[in-house]
Amino acid sequence: MWARSVLGLVSLALVVQDSLAFKAHDFKTCSQSGFCRRGRALAKRSLETQSWQSPYSIDPSTISIVDGQAVFKAGVKSSLYPDINFGLEVRVQEDGAVRVRMDEVGGLHKRYDEAASWSLIADPKISQSIQWKAGKKDIRAVYGSKKDIGVVITYEPLQITLSRGGKDQVVLNGRGLLHMEHFRKKEEAPAVEATPTPEGGEEQVVVKADNPGAWFEGAEEDALWEETWGQWTDSKPKGPESLSIDISFPNHGVVYGIPQHATRLALPTTTGENAFFSDPYRLYNADVFEHLASSPVSLYGSIPLMHAHSEESTVAVFDLVASETWIDVSHSSDKSTETHWISESGILDLFILPGPDPDAVFAQYAKLTGTAPLPAAFGLGYHQCRWNYVSSEDVRTVQKRFDEENIPVDVLWLDIEYAVDHEYFMWNEKTFPDPVEMVNDVAATGRKMVVIVDPHLKRDSNYPAFTAAQDLKVLVKPKSGEGEYEGWCWPGSSSWVDFFNPAAWDWWKSVFKPYQLEGGSWSWTKSTEDVHIWNDMNEPSVFNGPEITMPKDNIHYGGWEHRDIHNINGMLYSNLTYQAVAARSDPPKRPFVLTRAFYAGSQRFGAMWTGDNMGTWEHMAVGIKMVLANSIGGFSFAGSDVGGFFGNPEPEMLVRWYQVGAMAPFFRAHAHIDTKRREPYLLASPYKDIVYGILRLRYSMLPVWYTAFRETTVTGRPILRPQYVVFPKDKNGFDIDDQYFIGSSGLLVKPVTEKDVTETTVYFSDDQVYYDYFTFATYNGKGSHVKVPAALHQLPLFIRGGSIVSTRERPRRASSLMKYDPFTLRVALSKDGEAKGDLYLDDGETYNHQKGEYVWREFVAAKKTRNSLRISSHDLGSLKPTEAVGDSSLTTYNPKNSYAKTLDEKDVRVEKILVLGLKGNPKSVKVEGTGEDLAFEFMPAMTRAASTLVIKDPRAKITDDWTVLIQY
Amino acid sequence: MVAPWLLLALPLSVTAAAARDKLLGVHPTSVSKYTPTKSNTWKCLDGSKELPWSAVNDDYCDCEDGSDEPGTSACSNSQFWCQNAGHIGSYIPSSRVGDGLCEADCCDGSDEQPGVCPNRCKEIGEAYRANRDAELKIQKTGSKIRSTYIAFAHKEQKRLQEEVKSLAKEIVTKEKEVERLRDIAERTESLSQAALEHKKQSPLYQSLLNHNKALKSLKREYQKHADRERQLGDILGSLRTGYNPNYQDMAVLEAVRGWEELAGLPHINDIKKGGDAEEGGEVTTGEGEKAGEPEDDGLWTKDELDGELEDILGTDYTQLLLDHEEHINAPTGDSVLFKITSYLPDSLLPTYEVWKDNLLEWLERLGIIPEETSGATSESSRAQQNLATATSELNRIKGEKSEAESTIVKIFHPEHFGIEGEWKKMDDECLEYEFGEYTYELCMFREAKQKPKNGGSTFSLGRFKSWNTDARPGSPEYYSKQYYKHGARCWNGPERSVVVLWTCGTQNAVTSVAELEKCEYQYTATSPALCLPPGAGDNGNGKNREEL
Repeated sequence: MWARSVLGLVSLALVVQDSLAFKAHDFKTCSQSGFCRRGRALAKRSLETQSWQSPYSIDPSTISIVDGQAVFKAGVKSSLYPDINFGLEVRVQEDGAVRVRMDEVGGLHKRYDEAASWSLIADPKISQSIQWKAGKKDIRAVYGSKKDIGVVITYEPLQITLSRGGKDQVVLNGRGLLHMEHFRKKEEAPAVEATPTPEGGEEQVVVKADNPGAWFEGAEEDALWEETWGQWTDSKPKGPESLSIDISFPNHGVVYGIPQHATRLALPTTTGENAFFSDPYRLYNADVFEHLASSPVSLYGSIPLMHAHSEESTVAVFDLVASETWIDVSHSSDKSTETHWISESGILDLFILPGPDPDAVFAQYAKLTGTAPLPAAFGLGYHQCRWNYVSSEDVRTVQKRFDEENIPVDVLWLDIEYAVDHEYFMWNEKTFPDPVEMVNDVAATGRKMVVIVDPHLKRDSNYPAFTAAQDLKVLVKPKSGEGEYEGWCWPGSSSWVDFFNPAAWDWWKSVFKPYQLEGGSWSWTKSTEDVHIWNDMNEPSVFNGPEITMPKDNIHYGGWEHRDIHNINGMLYSNLTYQAVAARSDPPKRPFVLTRAFYAGSQRFGAMWTGDNMGTWEHMAVGIKMVLANSIGGFSFAGSDVGGFFGNPEPEMLVRWYQVGAMAPFFRAHAHIDTKRREPYLLASPYKDIVYGILRLRYSMLPVWYTAFRETTVTGRPILRPQYVVFPKDKNGFDIDDQYFIGSSGLLVKPVTEKDVTETTVYFSDDQVYYDYFTFATYNGKGSHVKVPAALHQLPLFIRGGSIVSTRERPRRASSLMKYDPFTLRVALSKDGEAKGDLYLDDGETYNHQKGEYVWREFVAAKKTRNSLRISSHDLGSLKPTEAVGDSSLTTYNPKNSYAKTLDEKDVRVEKILVLGLKGNPKSVKVEGTGEDLAFEFMPAMTRAASTLVIKDPRAKITDDWTVLIQY
Repeated sequence: MVAPWLLLALPLSVTAAAARDKLLGVHPTSVSKYTPTKSNTWKCLDGSKELPWSAVNDDYCDCEDGSDEPGTSACSNSQFWCQNAGHIGSYIPSSRVGDGLCEADCCDGSDEQPGVCPNRCKEIGEAYRANRDAELKIQKTGSKIRSTYIAFAHKEQKRLQEEVKSLAKEIVTKEKEVERLRDIAERTESLSQAALEHKKQSPLYQSLLNHNKALKSLKREYQKHADRERQLGDILGSLRTGYNPNYQDMAVLEAVRGWEELAGLPHINDIKKGGDAEEGGEVTTGEGEKAGEPEDDGLWTKDELDGELEDILGTDYTQLLLDHEEHINAPTGDSVLFKITSYLPDSLLPTYEVWKDNLLEWLERLGIIPEETSGATSESSRAQQNLATATSELNRIKGEKSEAESTIVKIFHPEHFGIEGEWKKMDDECLEYEFGEYTYELCMFREAKQKPKNGGSTFSLGRFKSWNTDARPGSPEYYSKQYYKHGARCWNGPERSVVVLWTCGTQNAVTSVAELEKCEYQYTATSPALCLPPGAGDNGNGKNREEL
């Protein structure tokens, strides 16, 4: 009996275990989604038909060109539906990017056309100089400094091609898969139905007699109207409105981007022979529980931006669509890529970014969706999170343990359990009786707290956030368009604020005010300016909804269906929260908002993380690739949960994960409520000391991270740069996605994501010397895969020769306590004996940098004579005032601004200069100008280790111009 | 780095940092180590390097041991000594020097630039002393109570020793008694065995045995099913109360709903709402098992079945066989002699009964009526019964004795009630703490429990396992932590468990409860048992810092 019941429990446990894994049946495959099925069937027919030709063509008689602008407009017809009118508009922007828009004209309904207004920072500027030249069969525009870029619009069949130097770069509708399903009336089914519709069946097939478009659309109608999947029925009141388009890159063999998927960075194929995945990549923001470590399944966020890359050029397409989208990828040869994009609704609004290299693509994309703002400086420190720190005492104890062990941490986090009944903002008074005092205690050591505020509001008439939203009538509506949609989430029955409704905006901003509002409406008085916000579950996650999200026929502001705006929904939430947190202070302070759901443009509103990962080596590894993909998608402020959200990582895995996390822009440890506690102070030796070392390394490198952020705010270049971004012409690096450079610092890192490793292989692309960051061992690159030591305590981190890296080496409890600490410069000399690097500083808190209150320096090491090296500091702010910081229209720079003055008064200086790779024994080190001698220590080069020259305390102020002269 | 420093004159522009007191941050006992040589140099304390004297406290780390920068944050591995006049001197890590924060451990503000931190040693010192005095007072009072606990332990020991002695005596007596009864039983049994065997051939008896067997089997099967149903109920019950909505698993939700309907429970989320609780509560009683109601055809109800089946199965069939025989042999229709009482007036009854018994006895002796119980077989079973009763009594006493003996061992055993027996007083004492919707109970050395205030099942949070295994048994540290383990298993989680953190206090009380990890609870509690007399050597507080 006993034995049997034990057996019973064991097998129950096994079943439970099994059910914890990714649940494929919760999410649709392409074949379970009517429009995707139709789209793929179309592609299949095109391959099976000998003389396939797109039915879409331009009616030359309708062509018009806007005066003085590179805007081409024309009517488009489909031979299948001669009565239906489409309008095409092609604009060439000032930066050479091409925007292609197509919509149905005079249709039964309107297609969703507002995605751009949420995603783009402004209407892109249209070129006034580029001219369209109409021919008989096509119209073209030629431009570029070398006049080597051409856009050709062919009339029949409709095709749009961008070429450079005579080589096709991007071709739209080259495979004839363009299909914009027009709005139609539902045809009444015949009175006598021969066969009853199978219950809950996927296929809803109505045979249509004599369909002349059968060659294109198929002989049978497939799921055009109401569609049932599992227990859910999507009413699809407007019927079919999907959009299919093929985009080919005839001369690009690799594609990257379209985050978020747990895949390699170079996207594997989904169709064609030996396709790696069988389903297309899906973009449909979803809360996927325990997702797989390699899968095209959609995850929490969507950025429909794809880079296509080759040794010759990089181009990109940005498909600005907000509805569910599936993307097939195949290669007809090693040198070409074909993609097929199938979206459920919305107009065609597609940008072709001409490159020609990754940096140009980043700039072109940044012009559209903007760049990340400079983050609040604490956001780059270490974040300690757990679901959940259970009480204010718990929070204080965690902070105390960090301090006792002298481990740096910037932010302590609170997950959903702080909120009574999961009513966000409302503290559980039993466990958090003194929230403001608790936050103040954390803030007393220069730290912050981040508290979760999810978008679902418990339907409780005593919950002020819910009742206010109810009173304002800003809750999402069910398909009837009346009343309030109710779904199930953490608090039980919940409703969701419709942030597409402008009436919600001012209210949401007022809620975060940490003081009593005039007029008495409710605000979060039990918070302070040291509380920042975590937006989770904003896909939105709805536990009892189809695919764990909202029904697609829910109604948003303006009468749009949820299907139209789904992928943008999460971005609006973090957007408004970001604005609300900034607006609670006067003058505003930089908010920190973490979001799980995101879209193109979300980089403007804070940080993201890769969601609920698992504590496995595979997830650790793919987390890096996902962060890289996000970086390419413009969303650099990214990271994955250190330790893995689910599971109890063994100490070795946890150490490796800290190495991964410390080398990501967003560095947070997080854990599920079912896991054991795993704060770094709980680790045993030697793991504990290794993790301390990693945390200290992170803090010492904060100036590197902050400087890298400055660059991305201006240029849109990502902070983490995979191999192809830095060395676009080295094809051996195209598939590498487990090592990357950090900003322009010259630091290259290869985190280890495998068990029991003592060495690993790093790829050095260029003919340059690389120095081990810690041991100064040297490696010579030039396309070689090199074995490097990588035992548990060793992080493979290298400085590329030619770089100067600025760090702050004094360990402090929090980043805010380091703001006046001195700097150490690592001057890693190139093969030619030179180096340079920059350093950007501001108060890390306010927006005063936009008024010119910052310090931006460049350090240059250059040979003066054959036997002397000058290391000097000069003011980049004065040199390039317009390029210093994003979001500012500054044209001048005052080196004596009040921030710079503070640094000067606090005597912030360079305390140490470390010169690596000096060829020759130094005889003297002097301050140029005064001629003062500086103390130094020199260790000559040894086999495979660089010579190191340590210059002791040049007492060189960070705000001053200075030069140190080394004679050897 | 082996190459020596090229000793060169430092830049002349002497900054504030360089001008700092060379002895800043140096502990008074180390002051002598911070003096320059005649040639104005100085050696790192580990002897690794010789530096110009000016390199000491110049805000640049020269020595690997960090000894050249006792007063700055330049060396990450050094410490800064805060004098804290008026309070207690203290080291702080160098990483806190010059970080702009005023440390409580450095109340004189010497770790920051002048003017940053006011000297708060007076108030901090006063507060510290007041706090320490209060603690001391608690400790004193507590230690007095503790000594009564120790006295109690000694008394208990004595009492138990006495008890053991008297039990030992009793055992000797009982053992003799058992021997005697065994003797009788063996003799009577051999006499009656043959007669009994014959009677057992009766078809009625055989059939009864079969019925019994069938009933037993049925009961076993029934029990199995009932157990299984209960287990399933428990599993589903834990699922219902413990399921984690994070799994977002509608299948789980369906299972919970189904179970609630089947078992007539209100929906778990409705209970938590509070307002709707009553409504849900009614459903529970309404739909529950209809226990007391009688079934059709005079069949037994479940309760009757539970009670009486046991009795039936416990029937002594041999005895029944003998009773049956007696019944058959008895006169049909009770004789006048046996029924006469109904005709007698009440006042005569007692006299009659005495007379009747005497008469019957005589009649039996004369063989006129058969003996009441037919002879040897029943006598044998009675002897057996007597023997069994005596044996179990003996075993009970033996058990009591060994328990008393083991308690005696535990009283002063460091791994149980402490070397001084100071925890014996608390044995099985139950402390309660109310938090949220639950009352948390801690029955010392037994079990910790979580009882819902508004009805629902009580969960065991674990049974006493050990003291703090990371500390040396007998040390105060050892008794500062208690583990209760192997409580009820959480759904999809571990078995519940408790760590109790004990501190000295004048009362035995649980002072907080927190679930720091899922199903792993931390209690904090106070007890005088942990209050060592002030000044007693290693008191675990470690607050014997030097006061200046």
